[in-house]
Amino acid sequence: MSSDETVMDTGYTEAVTSLLYQLADDDFMYSFRGSEWLGLAPHIEADIAFSSISQDSMGHAAMFYKLLEDLGAGNADKLAHFRPAIERRNSILTERVNGQGYYMETPHYDWAYAVARSYFYTQAKKVRIDSLCESSFKPLADVAVKVRMELYYHKMHWDTWFKQLMSSTEVAKKKMADAIKLVMNDFGDVFSYGDQKQQIESHGLIGSEEDLKGRWRMNIEPFFVSLHLQVPEIPEGPVKNGRNGEHSGDLDEGLATLSEVCSADTAAVW
Amino acid sequence: MDKAGKQVEVAMKWELIKTYTVTRFIVTEYLDGVYVTLWKASTMHMLDKGGTRMTNFNSTNDEKQLEQFMQRIEANDKIEASDWMPDEYRMTLIKLISMHGMSEIMGALPEKEWVPKAPTLQRKLGIMAKVQDEMGHGQLLLRVTEDLLVPYGKNRADLMQDLFNGDLKFHNVFHMETKTWADAGIIGWLVDGAAIITQTDMLKASYGPYARALQRICAEEVFHAQHGESIILALVEGTDLQKAIVQEALDRWWEPLLMFFGPASKETTGSSKQDLTIKYKIRTKTNEEFRQIFFDKYIPRIISLGLKIPDPTLRYDQDSKLWFYEQPDWNAFKKIIKNQGPRSEARLNLRRHSYEYNSWVRDALSTSSS
Amino acid sequence: MGEEKTFYQEYEIFSKRTPSSAFQHQYSLLAPNEEMALIMAQENFMRREPVADIWIVNRKNIKRMNADEKLTLGRLENKDYRTTKGYGYLKKKWRKYEQEILDEKEILSWGGERK
Repeated sequence: MSSDETVMDTGYTEAVTSLLYQLADDDFMYSFRGSEWLGLAPHIEADIAFSSISQDSMGHAAMFYKLLEDLGAGNADKLAHFRPAIERRNSILTERVNGQGYYMETPHYDWAYAVARSYFYTQAKKVRIDSLCESSFKPLADVAVKVRMELYYHKMHWDTWFKQLMSSTEVAKKKMADAIKLVMNDFGDVFSYGDQKQQIESHGLIGSEEDLKGRWRMNIEPFFVSLHLQVPEIPEGPVKNGRNGEHSGDLDEGLATLSEVCSADTAAVW
Repeated sequence: MDKAGKQVEVAMKWELIKTYTVTRFIVTEYLDGVYVTLWKASTMHMLDKGGTRMTNFNSTNDEKQLEQFMQRIEANDKIEASDWMPDEYRMTLIKLISMHGMSEIMGALPEKEWVPKAPTLQRKLGIMAKVQDEMGHGQLLLRVTEDLLVPYGKNRADLMQDLFNGDLKFHNVFHMETKTWADAGIIGWLVDGAAIITQTDMLKASYGPYARALQRICAEEVFHAQHGESIILALVEGTDLQKAIVQEALDRWWEPLLMFFGPASKETTGSSKQDLTIKYKIRTKTNEEFRQIFFDKYIPRIISLGLKIPDPTLRYDQDSKLWFYEQPDWNAFKKIIKNQGPRSEARLNLRRHSYEYNSWVRDALSTSSS
Repeated sequence: MGEEKTFYQEYEIFSKRTPSSAFQHQYSLLAPNEEMALIMAQENFMRREPVADIWIVNRKNIKRMNADEKLTLGRLENKDYRTTKGYGYLKKKWRKYEQEILDEKEILSWGGERK
C-alpha cells in the first residue's frame, strides 16, 4: 500500500502515529542522555566520537517528529519538548539517568552503563530499522533507509567498546556485568508496542514483537557464545511499560531539564 | 684547554642554564594569552630529565644550531616536531599550546551546561556539534603539545595531572558562571570571536604542527561564530524576557572579555612574555592590539543590536584610532587565573572526577607499548 | 620499559575523500589499539567532509627520517635526461618530417575514445 497516495483510514493513521511516537521518543531520550555525557567521557577522542552518535540520534528523532508533524500531530519541537511524561512513549531504558547525580554538578556517570545501554539499544534499533525499511507506510520506510545508513557506524562503535571491555580486566568485566543487569532489567518494553500491539502489527508497519526479539537475539548470540556467556534474557511483561506512558521518575527529571529554557517563554522563538 | 678545565666550564654552563631556566619559569607570570606559571612544580622534574642531554652539549655545535634555527625562523620556514629547536622555543610552545588546548577542554564545560537544555531540536543539535568541536580542538592541540613533550617523557596523563594540580592553567573566561541560555549565545558570539582574533593571528606560526591545527580550528570557528550570532539574533529580536537575558549576559561577560586578551603590558600584572612569541614568529600582535581589533569588529555590531555596553567611558579616538575603555580589575584577573574564579574549583572538580571515576576504562584497555 | 602498559598509543590517520582520490594524512590520535583508533578516527577529524576510506597506522611502525637522513634528499639539478626537458629539440626535428612530437598532452589524451 502506498499511503501517501491513498486516503488513510483512521485506524491506520492511529497505528502509524503510535509507532512514530515510540520511535521518536526513544531516539530523543537516548540522545538527550548521550548529550549529558558530552565532555565527560573517559578519553577525549572517545568523547568526540560519542557525541556524533548522540547528534545522529537526535537527527533521527527529529525526522520521526517531522513525520508526526506531517500527520497533523503538531509542531516537531513542541512534540519533543512540551509533552508531559504520561504522553511519552519511549522505553524505560532510554530515559534512565547516566548515573547518580545531576549533570550540572559532579555526577557519577558510569561508562560501563553507557556502553551496555548503547550496545543493546543499538542492536535493538538495528533490527527495528531494518524491519521499518519494509514498512507499509512509505514515508516511514524512506526515513528508515536514511537512518540505516548511519547505524552501521553506531553499531561498529558500540560493538567495539562492548566487546573490548567484556574481554579485558576483571574489574571491567564485573562493571560490565553489573551494567548489563541494569540494562536488561529495563529491557522489557524495548520491543513492546504496548496497548497498540495489535494495530501496529496488523497494518504491516513493522515486524511483530516476537519476530524482532528473535532477530535481536540471533544477532548478538555469536559474541556471547564466543565468551561462553548466556545471551541476556528479555524480561517478560515489564513492570512499567513506557509504550503505555508508564515511566520512572528519571523521565520527569529529564523532561524538566530538556525543556527548562523553552518553558521560560513558550511564546518565544528560540 | 685541558680536560679538567673543560669539565669545569661545562659544569658552570650547566649551573647557568639551570638557574636561568628555573628562574625563567618560576618568574614567568604571564605569556601572551597564557597566564601565570604553567610548570612551576614540574619544571624541576622536566629539567632533571632533560639534564643529561643539556650537560652533554657541545657549545660550538649548539651555537651553530641556534644560529641555523634563527635563520629558519627569519626565512619563515616551518619548524617540525622532530627538528632541532632551542629549549626556550620548545618551552614557549609547550606553555602556549598546552594552555590553549586545556582551555578548549575546560571551555567545553560552561557551554556544555546548556547542551541538554537547548530550547529546540535544532539548537540542541547545533550546540552539541559546537561543544564537540571544542573538545576536538582540545584534542588537536593536546596532540601538538604531547609531541613537544616527547623529550621529557610526558604524555596526556601528565598533562591532565598538571591541570588537576593547578600547574597547567586555563583561560580566564572559562572560570566564569553561566546563568541563562543567553550565555550560550554570548560565548559563541563574543568569546569565540575573541578567540578567533588571537588564533587567526597565529595561522602562520613558525611551528608547523600548531599552524596546521589552527587551520582546522579556525575553519570550524566560522561555524561557531555563526552559531553564536544565530542565538543572539533570535534573542534580541524576541520577547522582553529574551532581550533582558541577553543584555544581562553581556553585562556579566564584558569584563571577562576584556581580560581575555591579557594585560597590555607586564607592568599591569607583574610580568609578560609577549616578546618571546613575537621573537619566534609564533604570533605577530600584542595583547592590546588584539583587544583593539576585537573592539573594532564587535562594538559596532553590539550597538547595532540595541545592546548596551556596560562601560560609560568607552569611546573611540579618531586621531589615535584607538578605543579608550575602563580597565578590568586586573587583580581579580590574577586571582581567576590562579583557579580562584567563581567556577574554577567546581569545573576542575568535574573534570578531575570524570577523569578518575572511569579510569578503570583506560586501565582495562591498556596494552604494552612495545 | 616495553612492559609498561599504556592506553595512549599514537595513531596516524589517513583518509581519502572519494574512491578515486589519494590518501591524505589527517592528524594523529591516542587510542589503546587499532580498532579503537578506527572507531574514533572519522568523527575526530572528518566530521564535515566526505570520506571514502580510512587508514590507521601506529606511529611506531613509521620509519621517520632524522636530520642526517634528510641530508640524503639533496640533489643536483643536472638531470634533464630524466625528463622531457632534455628532448625539447625533437619538436623542431619532427617539423622537418611534417610530424608532431608526442608530448605529454598528446600521450595522456590517448586514454579516451579513438578519435
